Amino acid sequence: MADEDPQSFFCRSSRTLHAIEDSLLVVVLLSMVVLAFSQIIMRNIFGIGYIWIDPLLRIMVLWVGMLGAMVATRESKQISVDVLTRILSPRLKLISKVLTLTFAGAVSGIIAWYSALFVIDEWKYDSIAFASVPAWIPELIIPVAFGIMALRFTLQCLTAFMHLCRKTNQ
Amino acid sequence: MIQVAILILLALLGAPLFSIIGASAIWGFHSEEIDLQVITVEIYRLAEMPILLAIPLFTFAGYVLGESQAPSRMVRMADAILGWMPGGLAIVALIACALFTAFTGASGVTIVALGALLYPALMKAGYPERFNLGLITTSGSLGLLFAPSLPLILYGVIAQQSALERPVSIDDLFLAGILPGLLMVVMLSMWSMWKQPRGQLTTQFDHQKVVAAVKESIWEIPLPILILGGIYGGYFAVSEAAAVTAVYVLVVEVFIKREIPLGEMPRIIRDSMVLVGAIILILGVSLASTNYLIDTEVPMQLFESIRAHIDSKWTFLILLNLFLLGLGMMLDIFSALIIIVPIILPIAIGYDIHPVHLGIIFLANMQLGYFTPPVGMNLFIASYRFKKPVMELYLATLPFFFILLFAVLVITYWPALSLVFLSR
Repeated sequence: MADEDPQSFFCRSSRTLHAIEDSLLVVVLLSMVVLAFSQIIMRNIFGIGYIWIDPLLRIMVLWVGMLGAMVATRESKQISVDVLTRILSPRLKLISKVLTLTFAGAVSGIIAWYSALFVIDEWKYDSIAFASVPAWIPELIIPVAFGIMALRFTLQCLTAFMHLCRKTNQ
Repeated sequence: MIQVAILILLALLGAPLFSIIGASAIWGFHSEEIDLQVITVEIYRLAEMPILLAIPLFTFAGYVLGESQAPSRMVRMADAILGWMPGGLAIVALIACALFTAFTGASGVTIVALGALLYPALMKAGYPERFNLGLITTSGSLGLLFAPSLPLILYGVIAQQSALERPVSIDDLFLAGILPGLLMVVMLSMWSMWKQPRGQLTTQFDHQKVVAAVKESIWEIPLPILILGGIYGGYFAVSEAAAVTAVYVLVVEVFIKREIPLGEMPRIIRDSMVLVGAIILILGVSLASTNYLIDTEVPMQLFESIRAHIDSKWTFLILLNLFLLGLGMMLDIFSALIIIVPIILPIAIGYDIHPVHLGIIFLANMQLGYFTPPVGMNLFIASYRFKKPVMELYLATLPFFFILLFAVLVITYWPALSLVFLSR
């Protein structure tokens, strides 16, 4: 939805963000495939294994999930129940859209805020995730993903709100 | 109580489910005066569950298969082998859809990918239009019970989180789904034989056609053997089977068959990971809210109050069926699994229902939900795909609904059907 924004700075930065998300998604998923597969080959054929592969793979699952969720928000493909909206009039539909998007934005924002505090704490106390990787690096995706989702919900909400105003004026 | 009503209303108005569950977790921790940072710790537990790796890898493999020519090759092969039987083509459709759904995780891809092939073929063979619509729409969720379907894995993941005395292994779930899944395919096949257009000549069995079709699919045929054989032969774990499948499918469809240009890969990855992301997000926030539910012993209190009224296992199962059917009408399978299983599992175990059997009952009921009004996802996908009003699809799927309902009852009240292959 941010794409439709005529202000070119927004346009450009959101397009850059999309490109970053998409490429990260491709890189993380393909690395998962390669890592998980080579681990099986190494263990079964050469009898060797690296202990850092398992924790790394598990963290990649979190990352792929969070990145996927960001893209799902961008494409309005989050899972929802959505029974009532089918029977609402177009106007009520827009109003309920504004409501639910505000709500989703607020929840994402709260989670983003508290997880940012959490990650900052982890950074202060030098917690370790595995090997010598500091814990805040893999954790970082949580505040980032929820923060960007909060932003997206807010933008989508504003767009819906503007549609609503225009409809009321007509 | 008021906040629960508000959350339900927001959910019905279409607020993303993760935000509803997230809000209930936030509210829960807040009212217990627990620092909300704990939600991050809970979400981060996603990175501590090795089995989750299977979800993105199997889904990715399924999407790659769906983008290749594998579905049409599979239909040609099934047709060559089974096309000569009465109702042959319809049975081909059922089997092809079931196999395909098992791999793509019942995300509605089946109707889009296979429906386009099967629907015109069924029309040409003289089956009534309404039968064809019903068959294709129903088949879109057939195969949910076969490995390595995503809902089956997800049930295992959630059950493992519930810290049961009898741990639920995904290997066991894969085994448990085989006979109930076959029962559904067989019952629908019998209905199709009955509906076979009168006076219609079936095609002759043709050796050469079979050989040619098998040759064409020679790269895909080993896949089920690779997955199931690998897991039960003890060569690799479920998540490793997923990695092997992903690599195998990638190599075959992109480099050997060359049916998917490399340039398409980023789009396929993105499409598949949108589904995975939406599921993992809900799973993540529900890890926080489930914990809250368990801490406050909500499932146990529920169990006590149900127990006060119902003491027979069988009465409980009837109510469970009714509840799950209703649930399947409202919620999609993934959200239903994540929200309801943690609550229902301890209750069912209280009634001495095997957790693996419960999983099969749950998914079998949910399978019906895919094409029951008002929100059955496959009804809308089929309506869009075949340009038919949803009302017509309601009617078209009705006989199939009753057949599968009967299958669901058999699966529910005959536990051995699900549990016979389990070692314990």
